[in-house]
Formats: sequence, structure tokens, C-alpha cells
Amino acid sequence: MPGAVPPYRRVQRHRPLWMLAPGAVLTILVVVVPLVVALHISLLDLDQYSFRQWVRAPFVGLANYTEAVRASGTVHAIVLSTSYAAIVTVVTLPIGVAAALATQDRFRGRGLVRSIFLVPYVLPAFVVGTVWRIILQPDGVANGLLARLGLDGGLWLNGPRSFWALVVVQIWASWPLLYLLALAGLQAVDPVLHEAAALDGAGWWTKLRYVIFPHLRGPVSLAVIIAFLHNINNFTLPFVLFGVPSPRDVEVLPVLTYVESFQNFRFGLSAAMAVLSLVLIAVPLAAYLRAVRLDVGPDGAAEGSRP
Amino acid sequence: MTAKRVLSVLSGAIVLAATLTGCGSDSGSTSGGETLNVLIGANTIYPEQQRKWFADISARFQRESGATVEFETFASPNDELTKIQTSVLSGQGPDIYAIGTTFTPTVYATGAFLELTPDDWTKLGGRDRFLPATLGISGPDRDHEVGVPFTTRPFVMAYNRELLTAAGIDKPAESWDGLREQAKRLSTGGRYGMAIGYADSFDPWKFIWAMSLQAGNPLVGDGKARLDEPVVRTAYQTYLGWLATDKVVDPAAVGWKNAQAIAAFGAGRAAFLPMVSATSKVTLDASAVAGKYGYAVMPTIPPGATARPGGGQDATSILSGDNLVVAKYTRQRDLALALVKLLTSPEQQRDYYQTFGELPTDASAAAALQADPALAAMVDSSARSVATPFSGAWSQVQLALVNVVVQSVPGLSAGRVDDARLGTLLTEAQSSAQAALDKAK
Amino acid sequence: MTVRESAPTRGAAGPAPRPGGRGTATSGRGTVTRLLPAPLRVLVLGVLLVVVLAPVLYMLFASVSSDLSVAEGAFLPTSLDLGNYLRIWSTVELGRGLVNSLLVAGAVAAVCAFVALGSAYVLVRYAFRGRLAILRGLLALQSIPGTLMLLPVFVLFASAAQLLGVPVIGTRWALFVTYLTFALPFSTWVMVTYLRGLPPELDEAARVDGASAWQVLTRVILPLSWPGLVVAGIFALLLGWNDVLFASVLTNPDSRTAAVALQVFGATQEGGAIPVYGQMMAAALVCAAPVVVLYLVFQRYLISGLTAGGVK
Repeated sequence: MPGAVPPYRRVQRHRPLWMLAPGAVLTILVVVVPLVVALHISLLDLDQYSFRQWVRAPFVGLANYTEAVRASGTVHAIVLSTSYAAIVTVVTLPIGVAAALATQDRFRGRGLVRSIFLVPYVLPAFVVGTVWRIILQPDGVANGLLARLGLDGGLWLNGPRSFWALVVVQIWASWPLLYLLALAGLQAVDPVLHEAAALDGAGWWTKLRYVIFPHLRGPVSLAVIIAFLHNINNFTLPFVLFGVPSPRDVEVLPVLTYVESFQNFRFGLSAAMAVLSLVLIAVPLAAYLRAVRLDVGPDGAAEGSRP
Repeated sequence: MTAKRVLSVLSGAIVLAATLTGCGSDSGSTSGGETLNVLIGANTIYPEQQRKWFADISARFQRESGATVEFETFASPNDELTKIQTSVLSGQGPDIYAIGTTFTPTVYATGAFLELTPDDWTKLGGRDRFLPATLGISGPDRDHEVGVPFTTRPFVMAYNRELLTAAGIDKPAESWDGLREQAKRLSTGGRYGMAIGYADSFDPWKFIWAMSLQAGNPLVGDGKARLDEPVVRTAYQTYLGWLATDKVVDPAAVGWKNAQAIAAFGAGRAAFLPMVSATSKVTLDASAVAGKYGYAVMPTIPPGATARPGGGQDATSILSGDNLVVAKYTRQRDLALALVKLLTSPEQQRDYYQTFGELPTDASAAAALQADPALAAMVDSSARSVATPFSGAWSQVQLALVNVVVQSVPGLSAGRVDDARLGTLLTEAQSSAQAALDKAK
Repeated sequence: MTVRESAPTRGAAGPAPRPGGRGTATSGRGTVTRLLPAPLRVLVLGVLLVVVLAPVLYMLFASVSSDLSVAEGAFLPTSLDLGNYLRIWSTVELGRGLVNSLLVAGAVAAVCAFVALGSAYVLVRYAFRGRLAILRGLLALQSIPGTLMLLPVFVLFASAAQLLGVPVIGTRWALFVTYLTFALPFSTWVMVTYLRGLPPELDEAARVDGASAWQVLTRVILPLSWPGLVVAGIFALLLGWNDVLFASVLTNPDSRTAAVALQVFGATQEGGAIPVYGQMMAAALVCAAPVVVLYLVFQRYLISGLTAGGVK
């Protein structure tokens, strides 16, 4: 009987590992192999003069990496990307969870509201960028609205405020990611728990805090890390909003690597920058995984001792 | 049960495969002949006409050679660059590319495109039949040319005839200082003297380049960048000063691309619209200023001068337009050259002008258009266009030049051009341009 | 077999046959499951709807206004020209783009959700060496920037085409394989977190009864996983639907997706005239519509897969 089996024991025999095969084959072919090629490129002096026969481009060892570190842009871009991604993630978290909670309760038109909430996420990033660029023009709709309130809008798409323009637009475009995952997480809450909470006479906040939130921990921890990574790798939005060359306050890493490879033809340097950022992201990523125990799951401790 | 499951999964997979492979994706197999692929910029002003033109050319070439032509379009210069890079890297892709003139040196540097031999030029109908000015950026020298001139789009300046007459100005000035004075007189009553796209990704460098060249500094020479010289600084001060100190440009122009500048001029809110090509005609003819505007060449006397200094060039515009290049990896070299010949033939060039408003590169076709008064300024500017330096590093120099404007924009609202900041930015631009030139081969 | 019954029980709980209808008839359930007090819920929904809809409304207005007035920064429509919604079908070639997008992204969504379910099931329920490494690796894959992968992936497909002697670049298959691979890690993780929420007793009971892993997966896990599958599928769908970077180099005019068609149309050219904002906005809204409708249909499955009487 189910109750007799200790919870969370993983089966160790007759493992259907073949179910992992499709994903593994695809990943090796379409991700790992190209990634190795990219790593190799980061060690080459690959530019417009040598890329026709890229295999024969001069091998320069770590020269691209030293240039990437020394170039003023890289460090600035990493700091910028990280802080922008962190701010957006932290702000979208409560918005997404609140939206999921609000649309979990049944009401007339719920399906429509759920779908509308998806709209910012459904629009392609360059459409979002184009629309907001028109809105945020110096003589655009946003400043017109501010002027009506007696405020001077000023410049949003260049200068120090461009950073906040990027943050605001990215929040607008990306909060549905957290919303969707939180909503999926809510479906795993056993209705019995609601009844138990009601019997205990718990208020709504107490119920959320002690009954619902613990269930959201997994999906939301996942949503946070995914949102952060998506934000940090978002190329299209800053590219369309600000164009290239990018104002220094929004010269985020993906734009910098894009310009280096696709405009300046410095493929090697660009690959080195991207690899460097990958390594730098890996550190906080590992720390985060450890902190929220996302990788090992809620039963992590027990499982770690049982390989 | 399991077998049934497997069966349903299998049938699902077959349906999926059928839909993905389905209609359209194997359209190349219809004809037995050869297929040429051509990559060309998407025409956003005449999308339908462009599609018709594609069909016409394909049909005609099919009749003449039996081969099929398939056109692919790219959206923006960035798209084009990516497409070229991926094709060159993998050795497969379009056979012929229509590329921007300023981009030709970079494309040449890849070594992936056909250098035209005298024999090839003969196959194209002779090198002599092209306007000499349009050949200025086909290659580093006569013996190493990759680009066949396809269209020319010289830059000129549109002006609002009504506003100028009202202010008692009979014609646009021939010096940049004169233009500024005229613009000041025209900046009244909610209107501005000029419409400038400060946030455009390409416009700004064309101004700086023109002003510097007119003052005798071509920005790049003998592998050396010359971006930190006084005349360049003056050019930036003039260009940025229009908005910051002279107040002859709408302050909102710091966020404008070329398109919004055209829109402002079209709405009658600006008297001069420098740095536009013949393609602006369609939009303006459909705007509030239709019938009230004209085109003139831009000033050729550099800022701070009343006459062009010795060594300064009479440059009205960059040599602008499209070149056709043939990829070295093509398997149908002669067929590709035959298509290039067709595309640049006098008849096709005239047709192309009549459809899209882009000027011919074939001398005889161009001569036939000389008489059209509406085109006088374009034809004049075309003859006085000067090619940008032929260097594989030019794209990077261009980027460095625009970057100075981008990073200067936030300071403009203070009502002055910060000299110290401009100096720092120019030093940075100089060093990145020089670094790119040092890598050039 | 308690487990077997769990799926039918769901439908039986209420009179409505659709899963979405469950719960309405059960007395008291509606108020007991309330998460937020009504005023707070209205406030949250109201604020979010305004924030989401304001720019969308702007797009709608712009799509019926003249391009000059949009360029000048007008918010309210200056005219009511629905012609843009007709024009886009020929100028943007939206029809073919939408068909390609639906085929590619739809196939990616369906295949990805099920492959992810299988992988996640193994990762959650079975112990084996390298399990944690795979879980962490899947997340790490998410941090690879697309711009780094673009050229190598293209070279890979080009070489594959030469090796196999069949066209790869320009076919929908190239896009399908690319998107499927890129979507898998995230979708797998979505399923992992979802399956962790399902009590292990469910499938253990079935296994004790001698069911094979495949049977457990398809008959026990799958029926309970719809909310997770819908979310995993939606993410996979959107990845393919919105991508421009890979699609712009991996497609030809025949296999071009809607997003690329839109971008080709939307990008202004050097020395061009004013962009056609109206058609751009109309096309963007039309492009978004299929996904919104799809979600509207599938969100019914976004209800608890567990029932009170199922196991405990």
C-alpha cells in the first residue's frame, strides 16, 4: 500500500533511462557540439579577413580573453547586465505571484484575463521594443502624459534614465513568465489543504504564508533563476530600444558581444566575452541552486546521502 | 496495449513529419534548370512593386537562359551582415548579393567574392558603360574590383519652398555656416530650421565625414585614423550645436531616426531636411508639404569657412547606392554574371528607376534622365559624390563616429556642447578606429 | 487500483464534462479555495489589466491611424482605417508566415512537452549516477547566450547538409530541431518541479502492480500532468513563435516564420521613408492573436490535477 513506502525514495532498478535519450541526443548535437566550436572560436583571431576559412584562422590562445577583460566595455557591461537582470527579476516576482493568486480564484471571464496577462509575453521582443521606443520618444506618448501631469519627461532612450527605461520595459514584457510558472505551481496544491486551512479558521494571509507559498517554492525558485538568465541574455529588447552603437548606460553584455561579432567582425573576441560571462554567471547560479535546493528538490538532504 | 501506444506515437510522428516537410519547402524541385539565388534589401516603400519586379526578372531570365532566379530579402543592414557572415562561413548561400556601397570594402576584405577580370567585365557589357563616379567603391583599385554598380542613391537636402520664400530666402546656402544662419531665421513660430535624426544609426557619420572631407580630412588615410583632428571636432560641434546652442532643431530630435526627421519635415514643422535620398520623394509627395518642397545639394563649404580650403573636396554626398557582388562559392559563375548584366542593362535600370526611384548606374540610362528637373539635385549630387575610404575596417570607423554622437546626446539638453567630453569621446573613437585599421590586411 | 480511478474521479466531481467545470457544483468549495480577499483580487487584476492593456491599446490605435500621426506621437487614433488589417496579408506575407510559425512552433510545443515529461519523470522518480549533474546542466544550458550559438549552429547545419546531401538550411526541420533543443531544458525543468508536487505513492502503487515505466508514465503520470504540460508547451511554443535571431538565418522566403516576416517588414532601410507603423502594429497584433487564442483554449487544463479523493 502507498502508505507503507517511505516517501521520496527513488527507484533504483529497471530505470527507463532511455526516456532521457531524445533530449540527450538533441542537446549533444545542437548545443554541445556548437558550444565546443564556439569555445574553439574564442581561441582564434577570427575576423573579416580570416573567417572565410575559419578553420585556418590563427590560433591566439587566451589573447581574446585578456583583451576582453582589459577592454573597458566588458566589465561595465557585466555589472550593468547583472544589476538590470536582478532588479527586473526581483520586481517581477511579486507581480507574477500576485497575478497567479488573483486568477486562481474563479470568477466570470477568468479565462480571458488569464489570456490577456499573457499578451506581453506573446509579442515578439522586437515588437515590444519598437512599440516602447515609439512610446518613450522625447515627443512620444509617455512624455505627453507626464506633461499633462505637469512633469517634464525628458530623455528616456539615452542618458542615465535609459537604464530605467530598459528595466521598466523588460518588467512589462517578462512578468508573465513568473505568472505562468506560479500558476502551474498553484495547481499542485491539494484542495484538501484549503479545507484544512478553513477548518483551522486561518485568515487569507496566514493561509497563503503557511499553506500555499510552501507549494510554490519549487516552481517559483525555478521561475526566478530562469527569469534572471533570460533577462541577462536578452539581446533583442535593448537592441531595438536603443539601437547600436548603444548608449553607455544600457550597453549590456549581449549587445556588446553582438556588436563585436556581427558589426565589428571580431568573432573570436566576441566569443571570449560570451564565454567569460557564462563562467561569471555560473558562480551565482551555483550559489543560488545551493541556497534554494532547487536541484536536489525538497528532499535533498535525504537523497544526497543515498547515491 | 503497449503496441497500440507505440503505434499511435508513430502515427503522430508521421503526421508531424508530413506537416513540417509539407508544402512550399521544396519548391526548388519544380524546374529542371539551374537556380540562382539573389539576396537583396527588402523595399519597405514599394513592397508590392518589388514582388512584381522579382517575378518579372525571374520570368525574363528564365526565357533568356532557362535558369530560375529566386530572390531573398533582408530587413536591415544588420540582417544583411549576419546573412553574409553565415553564408561565407559555411560556403553556401545566395549566389549574388546586392550590398550597400559603404559595406563593399568590408565584403571585399572577406575574400569570399569574385574579383572581376577584364574578361568578366566584357561579359557584363564593358566597364565603360557605367558612370565613372559609381565605380568609385567597387574595389581597392581597378585590378581588384568585386562590386558592379547597381543603383545609386546620392544624398541631398529637401527644403520647404514656402517657408523659405516667407523668410525671404531665395535658395539654400552653399556653406554649412550659411545654412545655420538661414535655419536660425526659419526657426520661429513652433517651426524649426532643420530636421535631423540624431538617433539614427547611420546618418550622423555621413554629416561628420562630409564636413571633414570638405575641410580636407578624409578621416582615414594610409592606414592611419584621423578622428582626433580639429576639423573633426568642429564638425561635431557644428552638428551637435544645431540642437544644443543654435536651437534650430526640435529638441525631440535627439530621439529621432531618419524616418522621424522625414515625418517632421513632411508635417511642415521644419524648413530643411538634409541627408535624404530620392526614396524620400514618395513619402513627401503624400505628405502635407507635397508640391511645396524641392531638393538641393547639401553645402560643400565646411563649417567655419566661407570658401573651401585648399585640399578640401567638393563632396556633396557619400558615394551611396548598391553594388552587386557574386559569391566565390557559386557553382554558376557565368549564369550569375549574365543575371548581373541583365540587372544593370540600360533598359532594366530605367525600369528600376521608374518603379523604385533609384537612379541608374548605366551611363546611357542616366543620361536619359538628366532632363528631369525634379532630379537635377540628385543627378548633380551623384556626379559630386565621393567614395568613403576603401578599407576593410571602415564599418568599425563608421561605428566609432556614430558612437561619439550617441554618447554626446544626453549632455545636449544642458544647452551646450561639452568640449571636454567631446575631446574624451574623440580620443576613444580615434583609438578604436586605429585599432581596427591596425588589424586590416 | 486506487490510482487508476483518479483520473475519472476528476470529471465526476462536477456536472461539467470539461475539467474546467469542476468544482462549481461542489458546495462550499468555491469559497474555501479562495486565495485572496475580493477587494484585493479586484485591485491586483485591475492594476495589471491597465498596465498590460495600455500599450496594447496604443498598438490598436496606431494600427488604424495614419503613419504620420503615429510618428508625431499621437495616442488617440486620428482616423479609423481598417485597411491595414487587409493590407498586411499581401505586404507582410503574413499568411505564409503564420502557417510556418504554427507548424514549427506547434510541433515544437507538442513534442517538447512530451519529451520533457519523459525526461522529468526519470529525473524525479529514479535514482542514478549523474542525476544531479543533468538537472544542474539543464539550467546551465539556459545561460548560454543565443548570439554565441548562432554561427556555430549555422555551420553545423551547413555541414550536415553537405554530409547528408539534403537541404537543411531553409527547411522547417532545421528550425524545428533548433527550437526543440533550445526549449527542452526549460520545459524539462517545468515538468520536474511539477512532478515533484505529485505524491510518489501514485505511481509506486502502479509499479507494485507490475506496470512498466512506459505504462506508468502514460496512464498514471500523464493524465495528472496537464497543467505542467500546458505550461511547458506554451514556453516551447513561444520560443519558436518569437525567435528572430535563428529564424532569420535558417529560413528562406518559403519557410519564413511570422516573426521574421514581421521584422523584415518592420525594419526601416538606410535612407528610407517613414516606417509604416499602422501595418506593423496591425501585423503584430494579428501575430499575437493565435497564441492568445491557443492559450485561451488550453488554460482550461490549468486546474489542479489532483483530487481530494484520489489517493489520500
